[in-house]
Amino acid sequence: MITYAKSVVAVRADIGQAHNAAWGRIARAGTWFDGATRVAIAAETRNAPPCPLCKRRKETLSPGAIVGHHDSLGALPERVVEQIHRIVSDPGRLSRQWFDGILASGTSDAEYVEIVGVIATVVSIDTFCRAIGLPPHPLPQPEPGEPHRRRPRTAHQRGEAWLPMIHPKDLEGHLDTDEERALAKYWGGIPSNIRRALSLVPEEAYAWFQLVETQYLPGKWMRDFANEYRAIAHAQIELIAGRVSFLNQCFY
Amino acid sequence: MLRASSKAKGEKYDLTLLTGGSGDGNIPHGALLVEFAEAVLDSNDPHLPTVQTEIRAKMGDAALVDSAAIAATFNAIDRVADATGILIEDAKAEATADFRAALGINALAENRGEVADPRTDR
Repeated sequence: MITYAKSVVAVRADIGQAHNAAWGRIARAGTWFDGATRVAIAAETRNAPPCPLCKRRKETLSPGAIVGHHDSLGALPERVVEQIHRIVSDPGRLSRQWFDGILASGTSDAEYVEIVGVIATVVSIDTFCRAIGLPPHPLPQPEPGEPHRRRPRTAHQRGEAWLPMIHPKDLEGHLDTDEERALAKYWGGIPSNIRRALSLVPEEAYAWFQLVETQYLPGKWMRDFANEYRAIAHAQIELIAGRVSFLNQCFY
Repeated sequence: MLRASSKAKGEKYDLTLLTGGSGDGNIPHGALLVEFAEAVLDSNDPHLPTVQTEIRAKMGDAALVDSAAIAATFNAIDRVADATGILIEDAKAEATADFRAALGINALAENRGEVADPRTDR
């Protein structure tokens, strides 16, 4: 259970609730991984920054040219550790070739997406803690349960990303799964590619943006420049967002 | 979005703040918020507590929390975007082409061996 009771600044209740919900999701079985594996992915996410191999790669022009083994916790296959460490340590230089190599090593595209969802959740909540002066929260204890392993038939490769994604038009008519129905109800309209990015695992796409909208702004507020909804103004919000993205070398 | 906010408000924000420009850029506490973003992302930056204190003093505790939430969101959302290889949408690419070129942001895509304007890659 996440608490901000010891924070020197009062944290909005909705942020605390969103972080608790996200932490609970990490502990439970997801679509392709059980709770123990998801918590292991979270732990490896935290373990990545001091990895010597990652540091050497970060310093070179061609990270793929440096071979070696990651300094991992040993709970996950090397291909999963490679995915986690590269996304955490050097996201701005990920390439299609690197992505194809991860899939060729045995990770399915849907597993890849679920791993990204866990990484994003941990990075986001850990960054929040650091930014308000708190240590990271202890990781949750895994809960029993099996992943349901349902792949949405509505996800297709249209050349908009490395991975198949669901387009809102795919969600018209009969839907096979509860996850797709939830996404159809949630999206409405034409969502941006970043909202669709994890939609090969609809639960990750939905849950990730629940966290995003709580920490950032719900979609309808983002472009409502006539009103301010946070303690900082739209311009200040977008300044922080833009500077962070530039530092991460994120083109999108 | 910063430029959209600038247009909507009729304010002329200095977008070079995003790429390392100095000053407030006509945004209240702009330099302080940039310093905050930089300190949050650099785990070795010893100045983060000082910046946090300054934000609390000048902008209030709630501003620190909301600033932290934005940094937290985009430090992760960047990774989602980069790890999935999503393209920037046509409308966004068209609307932002001029200032992406002016600020040198296109180089970020070119560093990855990708095209800056996805429309040319279809």
